[in-house]
Amino acid sequence: MKISVPRRLVIPAAAAGALLMLLIPAMPLLAASAQPDGVTAWWVWVLALFVFSFVLGIVAVLAGVGGGVLFVPIVSSFFPFHLDFVRGAGLLVALAGALSAGPPLLRKGLADLKLGLPMAFVGSISSIAGALVGLAMPAQNVQLLLGIVIISIAGIMIKAGKSGYPEVAQPDRLSQMLQISGLYYEEFGKHEVSWQIHRTPVGLLLFFVIGFIGGMFGLGAGFANVPVFNLLMGVPLKVAVATSGLVLSINGSAAVWVYMFKGAVIPLIAVPSIGGMMLGSKIGAKLLPKVDTRTIRTIVITILALSGFRSLLKGFGI
Amino acid sequence: MTDMKREGGYADRVQLAYAKTLDYVAHSVIIVMAAGYFLYLTGLLPLSVPIETIAGNWHLSASRLQAKLHLASGWSCFTRPEGIFHGDIVSYISVIFLSLATLICLVSAFLVFIGEKKRLYSAITLLQVIVLLVAASGILSAGR
Repeated sequence: MKISVPRRLVIPAAAAGALLMLLIPAMPLLAASAQPDGVTAWWVWVLALFVFSFVLGIVAVLAGVGGGVLFVPIVSSFFPFHLDFVRGAGLLVALAGALSAGPPLLRKGLADLKLGLPMAFVGSISSIAGALVGLAMPAQNVQLLLGIVIISIAGIMIKAGKSGYPEVAQPDRLSQMLQISGLYYEEFGKHEVSWQIHRTPVGLLLFFVIGFIGGMFGLGAGFANVPVFNLLMGVPLKVAVATSGLVLSINGSAAVWVYMFKGAVIPLIAVPSIGGMMLGSKIGAKLLPKVDTRTIRTIVITILALSGFRSLLKGFGI
Repeated sequence: MTDMKREGGYADRVQLAYAKTLDYVAHSVIIVMAAGYFLYLTGLLPLSVPIETIAGNWHLSASRLQAKLHLASGWSCFTRPEGIFHGDIVSYISVIFLSLATLICLVSAFLVFIGEKKRLYSAITLLQVIVLLVAASGILSAGR
């Protein structure tokens, strides 16, 4: 009997399969290297981290999530590095991804400085506070909370809807005072889209909370920035995604210094993670129009939930 | 619609300035980071701490690893007696460069806001720069 596989499923299935194939052998290796005099050579881990980050970069773009939110739970669960170094690298991974994607989005008016700067300002203050709290807490407690946060994020990703062009009948007073509105050219429909926002005070409050969580766990916070911009404040989806990167880069730049002064940023771990993720993201962006993103998003949510569950177990010392 | 309109027509001067600076800085970061890591792994420059020693201890928390190995942290790479010409230190400096990238872009945006006399956004950008400078100063620290 001949089984035919739709072509659109081949690439996402291959990418997700590669991710799983990297994860499964990592488990016994983890056990071996858990001892200080572990038997696995250092370069195996560094190479595995680069390859893993590369695949993660592809999958993250295809699934429409930031790299940081996948990087921290998975690497902390399946690699032998202490959570401190994974969180430090995670912030840099998210920062590097946002920086490399930024220029064209700013030029097209999709990433909007007037929208992003006030949100990033409150978010950067709370992300520093989050990093300070996260580094002061016992690692096991952070791991436990990380598990809860990651499982919640998987839940948000399943539940949260999205709106391409939300309708905002009346902008609020604060957004008018801050002159937050914009216009961009929608290439898909070949038309201009003008936008304005509402519920700015609530948005600022939520960006404060999101910044704290991002700094505490070393996560990029695109998973939360985008729904707040889009569903709460009425920002068009493309502007929300692009401006989320801008906010993320500022928040990450603030929190990462706390990790650097704590000695939680080691180039041996951070640089291959950043390089792999940036290269993978570029490949992912090229594959994006050719794949069935729904399939890969489902697989990523599943992997995210599993890593969250594993973080929970590690947090309980299991 | 012309390409000019599509690419630049929807972004104001400050966005274009931010994008231009970011483009330049992001590419520089990639080059510096790749070169630094190459020098680190190939051993073309001596190392202040051997890679095997770091790998044998990377399961420890940041505090315990620092107490044991005294790796570069914050700005300490510029005040170490052995100098900066070590593979691991050069690679660490490339990470510092990445961490400063956003600050450089914000300063460029601040200058444009000031030039255009946009007081509100000049103030917000200046406050943001101050927040990043405070973070980068190491005044705030965490302990476990």
